[in-house]
Amino acid sequence: MPANKKYLTKSPWLRLGKILVGTIGGYTVMISFHFCLTYLWPKQDVIATAFFTGYILWAFLLLWAFLETKFWRLCLTYIGLTLLFMLPYLLKH
Amino acid sequence: MNQRRYNIYFHTHTISGIIIAAILYVIFFAGTLSFFKDDISAWQKGKSIVAEQHPADYNYLLDSLGGKYNLRGRNFDFYVLKQGHGTYVNMSSSQDTTISKPKPKGEERGRRRGRGGRDDDAAYFLHYFADKSQSSYAEGYDMGEFLYRLHFLAQLNQVPMPIRLGTPFGYLLAGIVSFLFIFALITGLLLHWDKIKSNFFLFRPWNKWKTVWTDMHTVLGVIGFPFQLVFAVTGVILIVNFALISPFSKLLYDGNQEKLYEDLQYSRAMQVDYTYEPLESHFDVNAFVDEWQQKWNGSPITRLHIRNYMDKSMEVVVESKPKPQANFAGSGYAKVQVANGKVLVSKSPNQDTNHIDRIKSLVYHLHFGDFGGRPLRIVFFLLGLTGCVVILSGIMIWLVARDKPNIPLYKRRFNFWAANVFMAVCLAMLPVTAFTFIMVKCLAHVDQSVIYSVYFYSWLALSIYLVALRNLSTMNRHILLLSVVTCLGVPIANGLSDGLWIWNTFQHKAYDIFFIDVLFILMALCCGIAYWKVRKQAKPFKVTVIGK
Repeated sequence: MPANKKYLTKSPWLRLGKILVGTIGGYTVMISFHFCLTYLWPKQDVIATAFFTGYILWAFLLLWAFLETKFWRLCLTYIGLTLLFMLPYLLKH
Repeated sequence: MNQRRYNIYFHTHTISGIIIAAILYVIFFAGTLSFFKDDISAWQKGKSIVAEQHPADYNYLLDSLGGKYNLRGRNFDFYVLKQGHGTYVNMSSSQDTTISKPKPKGEERGRRRGRGGRDDDAAYFLHYFADKSQSSYAEGYDMGEFLYRLHFLAQLNQVPMPIRLGTPFGYLLAGIVSFLFIFALITGLLLHWDKIKSNFFLFRPWNKWKTVWTDMHTVLGVIGFPFQLVFAVTGVILIVNFALISPFSKLLYDGNQEKLYEDLQYSRAMQVDYTYEPLESHFDVNAFVDEWQQKWNGSPITRLHIRNYMDKSMEVVVESKPKPQANFAGSGYAKVQVANGKVLVSKSPNQDTNHIDRIKSLVYHLHFGDFGGRPLRIVFFLLGLTGCVVILSGIMIWLVARDKPNIPLYKRRFNFWAANVFMAVCLAMLPVTAFTFIMVKCLAHVDQSVIYSVYFYSWLALSIYLVALRNLSTMNRHILLLSVVTCLGVPIANGLSDGLWIWNTFQHKAYDIFFIDVLFILMALCCGIAYWKVRKQAKPFKVTVIGK
């Protein structure tokens, strides 16, 4: 019993889009999130902690791309979250 | 659970799983044997490292090098082996241009690729303290090193890459596979979430095949989940951490990666200007190492770096990793100016533990399983084997779930051939590994290229043979029988070639060699029992697409 196709993304292009956006968007959100934490804790400690938390967070963010129903909302969320976490950096530069 | 989510978890788990299955199996199988890397090396060389202690004699090493080279002004890096029975030595050319002539300009100093391949009169080799023998990296290469490097696909690094991604092909592939493994683990757990409690120990071996495989996959998958997640995450960290390092070095260190590595205590800058003034006193390396080791309560020295040997500016760095029993997380470091004995920096492995030490020790200890002696490594080995079983049963579920009349024939054909090839490549690994163990004992000369040829060609040949059988049950029986024969051959080859029969090694307390022989005998035994059971009472299994 393979998964029921009814619930899966049908268009191959949309599927490819989700994989790409999920991989890249998930990565930028993950990096920017940890970057944001360096304002609270010493940067080398945050980077070392990100060894563990980073990859797991990234995998979850990738999974999110498949769960989200609207593709535009998915893209906006990744961009929005990345910008939000990068805010301190953007304000400074 | 929400039907939509359930099906999405299901599908993402299936697809990510089947893509990585074959490579992940190779990683798991080679990796799980690598827990015994040092034992395998000792087995192959016929020299036990646990039977006797061999103190590290750096003075002898430097004196003997001094017979061949003028050592003044050179840099040395000693990377001590885990068991402390030997060290890799990296000797640079001299800073003194009258000793090492600088290369004429225009002759490009190509980037060092991998190990070996040096220019001028620098040297890189392996030195054993026990018999004071030295060998190049390729000569010292053994099955322990081979399996260890196979488990992160180092042998694939030769594959050329169209674009440079900051890492060789093999490592990149291993990294992508382990990241997808994290993804597959998470989706697998979520998929099984509602049934975790009710099906925790559910195993129905007398049911139809598909049920057996499903139970194997889900039950062992859930029980092994924490172990596998730890290995997936630490594996990614160890092999492709540049994915994290490079953006952070750009954002936080203005692209200065060196500085970031220094902050993470991976490397320490040692820039010392050469003075051309000889050091007046003699420098006793052994005494120096002993002194620091004593200061640090016997914490073993893992690295030793010497800069500008016997020059007035000479500096020495010792690095130490505490025994996990004494301090799970920690690293020692001291930098000393030799001329005046001044300690420039020092950090005790036992007290000055910081956050980075903790994270890094967690990564290393968890991945290498080196914090609980042999019993822990055996437990890790068994858990690693359950990982192999989960992968194989996953492939089988994937095949059987799609072997239905409503699926078009061309798709079923493809599925069968994919599963057939995957199973052949995966299952061939055990007899091929045992066969190579036998061959390294039979052949007169063994080095890196010999091991490569024996392992990869026999793997290819056996895989083709198994694929050609076009029958998974027959394949299984052949593999089991072949495994019994080859695994039993391992202790026999050891006895015949070196006289190291298991009773001899046991008597001489060469437990590392003894252990490998026993391990293979046990594997032969398990395969034998499985073969006997399969012959006697196996339920018939057939894939409909093949008319046989």
